[in-house]
Amino acid sequence: MLQKVVCILIVPICIRVTALSAQSPPGQPTVTHCRSYEKETFNCWWKPGPDGGLPTNYTLVYWTEKNNKRIECPDYHTSGPYSCSFSKAHFSMWILYSVIVNASNALGWNASYEYKFDMLDIVQPFPPRNLSLSYEAVETSMPYLIVKWNTPEKADVKTGWMTLVYQVRLREEKQQIWEEHIVEQQTKLKIFSLTPGKTYAVQVRCNADKGKWSEWSEEEYFQIPEVTKKQDLTLWIS
Amino acid sequence: MFHEFEERFTPDRRILAQSGMSCHTSSLNTPEDKEQAQQIQHEDLLNLVLKVLRSWNDPLLHMVSEVQDIPQAPDTILWKTVEIEEQAKQLLEGMERIVGRIHPGDLENEVYSPWPGPPAAAPGDENSRLFAFYNLVHCLRRDAHKIDNYLKVLKCRLIHDGNC
Repeated sequence: MLQKVVCILIVPICIRVTALSAQSPPGQPTVTHCRSYEKETFNCWWKPGPDGGLPTNYTLVYWTEKNNKRIECPDYHTSGPYSCSFSKAHFSMWILYSVIVNASNALGWNASYEYKFDMLDIVQPFPPRNLSLSYEAVETSMPYLIVKWNTPEKADVKTGWMTLVYQVRLREEKQQIWEEHIVEQQTKLKIFSLTPGKTYAVQVRCNADKGKWSEWSEEEYFQIPEVTKKQDLTLWIS
Repeated sequence: MFHEFEERFTPDRRILAQSGMSCHTSSLNTPEDKEQAQQIQHEDLLNLVLKVLRSWNDPLLHMVSEVQDIPQAPDTILWKTVEIEEQAKQLLEGMERIVGRIHPGDLENEVYSPWPGPPAAAPGDENSRLFAFYNLVHCLRRDAHKIDNYLKVLKCRLIHDGNC
């Protein structure tokens, strides 16, 4: 009987003790990257370190080369967990920014390394939208595939604040090698000399003012029609 | 050129992280975001472009001579520096012609942000020389981007009526 009581009493205490000894200040968080989709706002993301077995609170502070005052992140919610969104009020295009994330729990705190970046280097638009493919085969010219797309979400190209160039790539469905085309500012491309009967996969991505390339858009597929009509080879001599 | 220099001479971007970079043109009060760029009058924006360009006359000449003394500078950095100096000169001439039509005779009075010259370094201190050059390349890239952006905004505003 006594043994039983001891066991019941001791086991929870043991567990409690082990749990307590595993608790510690939080590990070091790491700022992973920052990104501006449209040259008007930007976001930063971080990876938490080990939490030390306790609820951990994260704060992000930033400062710039023009203003050394530490300012706390204005919005922890909009771009998901472990992120900070900076609105227009916090955005300057041609300035160096520094960011630090602090992690704290009941036992202490830990800070990330300083993440320093030039806004120029983090501009990376969303991929272009609404990629569409159609085929033009009129008798007066060589047949061609028309690739069309729309500017990415949020990109203001009308005022000239953002200037986008595009890259279109295509491959035969069963091949791995892509053929690439650069398109300046226009949002369409004609591709000639495709093989009738073959299906092609096409993607497009964009780049704003020599920043980073966006991700590739979703793939779209198109089967080039077989040549059905024999070409009229009659030569009329008058 | 900036990235090439960075790759070659500053692995891990350590210099950028450690240093207090500063640009001689930072005293010019230029638009820093879209709203500011849209609100400024086009004459003022043109004048700003001109000021930034003029502020680069001396440092670009210095860079062209300096780059030849950098040990192991790849040829691409060398000829790009020369090319940029050449193109900046042409752009400045074009801008002076445009601004001259808007404000004839006003051109000479434009103040710009003079370059204080290279920082004094102990002879043989290659690292601080390299750093000074790096700092200039960094500022040049920033200002080139800025000018490019302002000119594109102006083009869309004046030629395409805000609908590029």
